[in-house]
Amino acid sequence: MSRTDDPVALDEWYVVGRPEDLSIGRPVATRLLGAELTLGLAGGAVTAVETETGRALPVTLAYGHVWTTLGTPTRGLPPIAEFDETDRRLATCGAVHVRASGLRLVENFLDMAHFPFVHTDILGVEDRPTVEPYDCEIRRDVDEVWATNCRFWQPQAAANAAGGQMSDYLYRVARPFTVLLYKTCPSDPARQDVIGLLIQPTDEDRSIAYAFVLVVDAVSSTTEIIHFQQTIFLQDRIILENQRPRLLPLSPRAETPTRADLSSIAYRRWLKEKGLRFGIDRREAA
Amino acid sequence: MADRPVLFDYELSANAYAVRLMAGLIGIAHDRRPVDVYPGRETEGADFRALNPRGTVPVWVEDGEVLTSVAAILWHMARGAPAWQGGDRAAETIEWLAFAERDLAAADAARLDAMLGLASPVVDPVAAARRAFRILDDRLARQGIDGAGFLVGAEPTVADVAAFPAVALAIDFGEALEAYPKLRAWTRRMRALPGFVTTPGVPDHL
Ligand SMILES: [Fe+2]
Repeated sequence: MSRTDDPVALDEWYVVGRPEDLSIGRPVATRLLGAELTLGLAGGAVTAVETETGRALPVTLAYGHVWTTLGTPTRGLPPIAEFDETDRRLATCGAVHVRASGLRLVENFLDMAHFPFVHTDILGVEDRPTVEPYDCEIRRDVDEVWATNCRFWQPQAAANAAGGQMSDYLYRVARPFTVLLYKTCPSDPARQDVIGLLIQPTDEDRSIAYAFVLVVDAVSSTTEIIHFQQTIFLQDRIILENQRPRLLPLSPRAETPTRADLSSIAYRRWLKEKGLRFGIDRREAA
Repeated sequence: MADRPVLFDYELSANAYAVRLMAGLIGIAHDRRPVDVYPGRETEGADFRALNPRGTVPVWVEDGEVLTSVAAILWHMARGAPAWQGGDRAAETIEWLAFAERDLAAADAARLDAMLGLASPVVDPVAAARRAFRILDDRLARQGIDGAGFLVGAEPTVADVAAFPAVALAIDFGEALEAYPKLRAWTRRMRALPGFVTTPGVPDHL
């Protein structure tokens, strides 16, 4: 397919790679919203060009990743205050390719009910499958979807977890394809680790997922932190690749009620309000 | 007393999983050293190349000996367990062990391309993986006629352990093994073995 004409999708910033994966003189081909892009390094700066037209695209380096846009975003990247805290460590986990709409990836990330069955004995245990009530709202002041007061029993909540803990979660969908998670830090219950899932929607039904972890963890090696996240995400990848349709239906009735939980309903309503079309199953649209 | 063996490990590597699986099935205590293959490219660095000039995982280090071939590692691990080396069918076991390391590499190349976008060293790795799966499926069909459920005989050997990860993880590149019924039945027999350990990506049901 060629570049989408969906203005809502075009007018956003997206991650398209990591700076350390670019080297001088070796352009990298990638895709965004159906358009071919060429990334490169020129004079120490990262460049992004829409391959077909030769148009230079704006580039921002932030949160360990390269961001660009094909349109004219009305707002910048989502602010993440924890990046200013100097005792935190950032680990970026690379790129994982998934044959599914990026919106499916966000919705899976929001769904706690799958922890015991998909991330068995890591993020959940099969004999404690219940998702306790939590709060969810579309925050009009920042135009984000927040799920708060989420609690889940986790046998191994992070790479440095010495045992099980009741994890407190806060989910923040900052942009349609960008979602953040704040969860109890195993080494300091007063603080929260930040995990980001940054999605590059290459095509409507294909995505590249980038994850970062911004943690207070003096114990684990960066490799251990990355491997922990890769393990979790590859468990999700199998589920995501087998979901049908690959695009996200907006009607909650289109799928089983267990998946269409509170945060999923809010997320879908928010996407509908925005009028986003890219990555959405439009067959049911009435 | 000698130090415990060390496995230089990568969670996503099919061959590294074969070593973890062998350790579980035979019960070999070892230490794990995770290697940041992706995205950190640690295997391309000077420190890792000093250990293994080929720049591959897994690496097994025991009593100063450094093994980098999955076939050599599994054979070495099974040295105190002759049944896993095929008993008096050792040569045949090595035949299928070599097949796993050589021909099933295409399946891992197809996986890493599909999952991480890593360039494949094999031309058309999906087609090459399917050719290898066909050969394995045919082998298991012939074994079945003789009443044997594994690649060499009625009991599992290191060859089965070497072949299992590439087959069980094929779903990672979208290969659900529908055309290989004997392979699917064999993966179920492998999963039922005492000491079996899984890895992310292995489906619960095949
Ligand atoms: Fe998950």
